[in-house]
Amino acid sequence: MKGMKVALSWIYLALIYLFILGPMFFVLAASFNTETSFPAAFEGVTLRWYARIWDHQEFLSSAWTSTLVALVSSAVAVLAAFLAAYAISRGNKRENAWLSATLAAPLLVPQVVMSLGMLQLASLAGMGTGFWWLVAVHAVHNIPFALRLTLTGFARFDFALEDAATSLGAGRWTAWREVTIPVLQSSIVAGFTFCFIMSFVNLPISLFLADTATTTLPVVMYSYIESRIDPMLAAVSAILFVLACAITLVLDNVFRIRLVD
Amino acid sequence: MPDLKLTNITKRFDKSVAVDDLSLSIEHGEFVCLLGPSGCGKTTTLRMIAGFETANSGTIELDGMDITRLPPQKRDIGLVFQSYALFPHKTAAENVGFGLKMRKLPRADIDSQVKKALELVRLGHVADRYPRQMSGGQQQRVALARALAIRPRLLLMDEPLSNLDAKLRDDMREEIRRIQKEVGITAIFVTHDQAEALALADRIAVMSEGRLMQIADPTSIYETPANATVDQFIGQVNALQGAITTVDGQSTQAGIAHVAIAGGRIISGLDRQIPVGTLVLAMVKHERVFLSRRQPVGENIFPCQVEGRTYLGASIVYHCNLGDQAMTAAVPNHPAFEQFQPGEAAFLHWASADCRIFRQ
Repeated sequence: MKGMKVALSWIYLALIYLFILGPMFFVLAASFNTETSFPAAFEGVTLRWYARIWDHQEFLSSAWTSTLVALVSSAVAVLAAFLAAYAISRGNKRENAWLSATLAAPLLVPQVVMSLGMLQLASLAGMGTGFWWLVAVHAVHNIPFALRLTLTGFARFDFALEDAATSLGAGRWTAWREVTIPVLQSSIVAGFTFCFIMSFVNLPISLFLADTATTTLPVVMYSYIESRIDPMLAAVSAILFVLACAITLVLDNVFRIRLVD
Repeated sequence: MPDLKLTNITKRFDKSVAVDDLSLSIEHGEFVCLLGPSGCGKTTTLRMIAGFETANSGTIELDGMDITRLPPQKRDIGLVFQSYALFPHKTAAENVGFGLKMRKLPRADIDSQVKKALELVRLGHVADRYPRQMSGGQQQRVALARALAIRPRLLLMDEPLSNLDAKLRDDMREEIRRIQKEVGITAIFVTHDQAEALALADRIAVMSEGRLMQIADPTSIYETPANATVDQFIGQVNALQGAITTVDGQSTQAGIAHVAIAGGRIISGLDRQIPVGTLVLAMVKHERVFLSRRQPVGENIFPCQVEGRTYLGASIVYHCNLGDQAMTAAVPNHPAFEQFQPGEAAFLHWASADCRIFRQ
């Protein structure tokens, strides 16, 4: 009876993993397939599609743009979220409910609507969109996620630690540098990583707000499959998949930081 | 000259008054306990002395210097917290050395002083451990060493023993008192535990609803409380409602008072003037009430029935009725004392000297 239960729970787990990771298996398989169309039956193994990415410089330059946008916007989002989480965790209850609700609002606005609004704002201001607009909107979109993660950290933070540091002679900033930030380090890094990935894979916002000089990787991928579908895109996806897995494993095993708590 | 002097301190939060016109003066080397139920303002008082809260009015002086508005990091006051508040990412030695590092002492001086502080609390061997690798008692001792390492002018402790289990709490109590004496530092210890306060303090300051009720040595607090609030907070006490009928010899001087209650008349000592007719509470501690089968001779003897019995090990507590009021007697669990079962008839009696009278 007990063996049966254990077996059933393993089957259940396997089905869930199959559901989540199954599609990735097809993408990985296609990226090594000699067949030129996609999807297609598996014919043989080749690294041709990986090599071909080098011929498409727009993939490499947009990947670099995406990295920059993700780095800067995540830094902005995490900084804003950390300060907000600090105020919410330390301040009084009624103001906090208002503050958390306001900061969670970007979650409720569809990305297309937010992007369209920003585009109009930019044109009203008589400015072109571009890198900094992209960074700004990615940051706003990421704040709710960063806020959740930092609030989780603060929920377990004993503010007496700051009082202890202060009573021992630390000024406010020193107390932050020596105590608050190191103790909350894992929530901050987790928040940053989460934001980075969210920003890196974002299509709707970038589609509206990127200009020709700041095209991001998802936009390039999207316009590539509009014209043709071949396994090179599967190769790009496979690289992204492996990178995401690597980041998660490194954070978990080296820094003991969990993206999902 | 007093070491610490609070003068007419008042602290309000929004509309509620946390501390109300508190004045307190503490001598050098004294160990004072702030005792009171939760919400009585004792922690707020401590936080104002530490500098985390600012009084709305009044002044705080330390060594004759006005520190009312001095930021906490400039006060040189050591603090021990209920949650220990050890920095989890620093070792015991780094925790203890934190205050010295903030004072920019040379590395070698920090190391030697950290060693000394850890030896003071008998924890030289855990210097390289992180807080999560230490027991609660060890963590609290590291916290004490950290507070003392900066050679503070004053040591403040906020319910430092309440997270420890009972046995460890008694050991730590002795340890804190030993260290405080050894260092010769003025200390303020906040607690809601009267046993802790009685065992530790040179003087106990009892607080209630933001006010200082009484400050005195433990014996005086227990045996001659200044008012009904203190009497009821310290120890277990019976409070009988009644009215003053006569004051001995019709004089208003200290002496003997008679109080009419529903079941008869009580004779009580009285150390101040209360006019005849005043509604009062006559207070007797549980352990000063006797219970016997045969009618004794003397004052304050009332027949009663034992209603309930609570076995506490060291003593047995009997719940009785005197007229329409409850009366409790705590009898030592010893063959020399008579013991009873619920339903038995008995006589309650106590000495007038063990009875105190306060206005209702």
